Amino acid sequence: MMLRRTKSGIVNGLMIIYALITLYPLIWLFISSLKSNEEFYSRPFQLPTKWHWDSFSRAWKISDMGTSMLNSIIVTALSLVLTLAIGALAAYVLSRFQFRFKLLVMGLFLLGMLIPIHSTLVPLFIMMNQTHLLNTYGALILPYVAFELPIAIFIIQAYMNTFPKEIEEAAFIDGIGYWGIFLRMMLPLSTPALSTVAILAVLRFWNDFSFALVFISKPALKTLPLSLSMFATGYMTDYQLTMAALAMAVVPTIIVYLIFQRSIMQGMIAGAVKG
Amino acid sequence: MNSANRTRAFIAVGLLPALLLFVTFVILPILWSAYYGFYDWKGIGKATYIGFDNYAEVIQDPVFWKSLQNNMLIVAASVFGQVPIALVLALLLMKGSRLHTFIRSAVFMPMVLSSVVVGIIWGYIYHPEIGVLNFVLDSIGLGSWKQQWLSDPDVSMYSIMVPIIWNYIGPYLIMFIAALNNIGSDMDDAAKIDGAEGSRKLFSVTLPLIWDTIKVAVVLCISGSLKAFDLIYVMTGGGPAHSTELLASYMYNNTFSIYRYGYGSAVSTTIIIVSLLLVAGSQYLMKRGDRL
Repeated sequence: MMLRRTKSGIVNGLMIIYALITLYPLIWLFISSLKSNEEFYSRPFQLPTKWHWDSFSRAWKISDMGTSMLNSIIVTALSLVLTLAIGALAAYVLSRFQFRFKLLVMGLFLLGMLIPIHSTLVPLFIMMNQTHLLNTYGALILPYVAFELPIAIFIIQAYMNTFPKEIEEAAFIDGIGYWGIFLRMMLPLSTPALSTVAILAVLRFWNDFSFALVFISKPALKTLPLSLSMFATGYMTDYQLTMAALAMAVVPTIIVYLIFQRSIMQGMIAGAVKG
Repeated sequence: MNSANRTRAFIAVGLLPALLLFVTFVILPILWSAYYGFYDWKGIGKATYIGFDNYAEVIQDPVFWKSLQNNMLIVAASVFGQVPIALVLALLLMKGSRLHTFIRSAVFMPMVLSSVVVGIIWGYIYHPEIGVLNFVLDSIGLGSWKQQWLSDPDVSMYSIMVPIIWNYIGPYLIMFIAALNNIGSDMDDAAKIDGAEGSRKLFSVTLPLIWDTIKVAVVLCISGSLKAFDLIYVMTGGGPAHSTELLASYMYNNTFSIYRYGYGSAVSTTIIIVSLLLVAGSQYLMKRGDRL
């Protein structure tokens, strides 16, 4: 008994050390953002001697983070609304109707999940260049939605497939059309699936780097990851500022993660396994 | 309008937006890149048809093979790094105690961070003069182990693997924990009656029971390895001397740094072919595994 308790004590101790190592890069990020440049490398493990809270406001101003954060919010929000609306509608059709090309359509979306997004960067860039879509919000929103649709449709459709047929028959007798059924029954009933899709989509849109890197070059339209990478390149040697900018960019994601932890974990795994 | 027509119209209207977006921004680009791959084109001016010349150049370029090899190295790092670490952690963290839940959350956390942030942080950790890693080595008397972690071509690819492993353990951990909890206590009791305990139980009872989950994890490692572009771009840009080049960064550098759109398109098509082969290969391995 004693032995077992010591053993689990050691295991727990090792686990805590592992967790701290895992979290260390983040802890270090936050501590470093409060240090002067000199302390950053002369005393990397200690707490700052003088806490430089001002680095946040300076980094915010110099990196113009207000603009990029606003861009990220606009792009993420619009893409999310489109993904949910278009995805849920398509999922409803695929879940409830029989028609000739159904298998073909589903196969097409399935194929979409196998395509690595990076392989479409060059042709999309050429297409967007010709249609003058580069350097617009649309250059990000449209491909975001398009690439998120397959997984959104499959998650929502799988969920809708579990609803019994009878609920719609009752609605039909009441004279509610397809749109009524979709808007007033299917959508509200699918809330759990919709929120899984929303979590996956928001994280993907918010963190996307490749599309923004290739399709956006106008400073006023840069999203957060893109402007951070530019800022870090430009201010590489001003560690305090770079660290403060990174810390501010990370805080919203961490807060969202702490609140929705459970659904984020489950959603990402559902997304990964199906995708 | 009769009811059959109305149904048909609804089906069409319901699928149209999704199909339109998906075909325009996912399917069409693939066809375009296959098409542009046959042209020599700088992005402006006239494109000249050159047949399979781009593809021949891709196959003859040692940097392409280096990139492919690096992609495979990342697959290997994921399969032999992430999967075993996640499995060991899962075995230790199965019980849902408060401490265990905390550690799970900590391990999963990097998944929600932007890879740009992750890349910059690790860039600083590896920094030869001001980085934490060399500082630690110095202070514990291992100064001779210090490296130019990201700028030495012999070391950089291995340096890159650590953040990649660190970043993606979380999902595998959660998958394994779920699988282990699914085995349930019945099996535990049965194993106990049969006298199987400790490592014998692990290898003859537990692992075979979650083997399917392990296979899924391996397949995910393979498809996930193609997504490491962001991290590489931020940390090394594929350098030094192409030592950390991946297929995606090879494509990016060849297209957007030197404006060879035709060649970049050919590389894009090659990436699709490679990834479909990888998916098909991993499916085949799974199937063969089933028969054994």
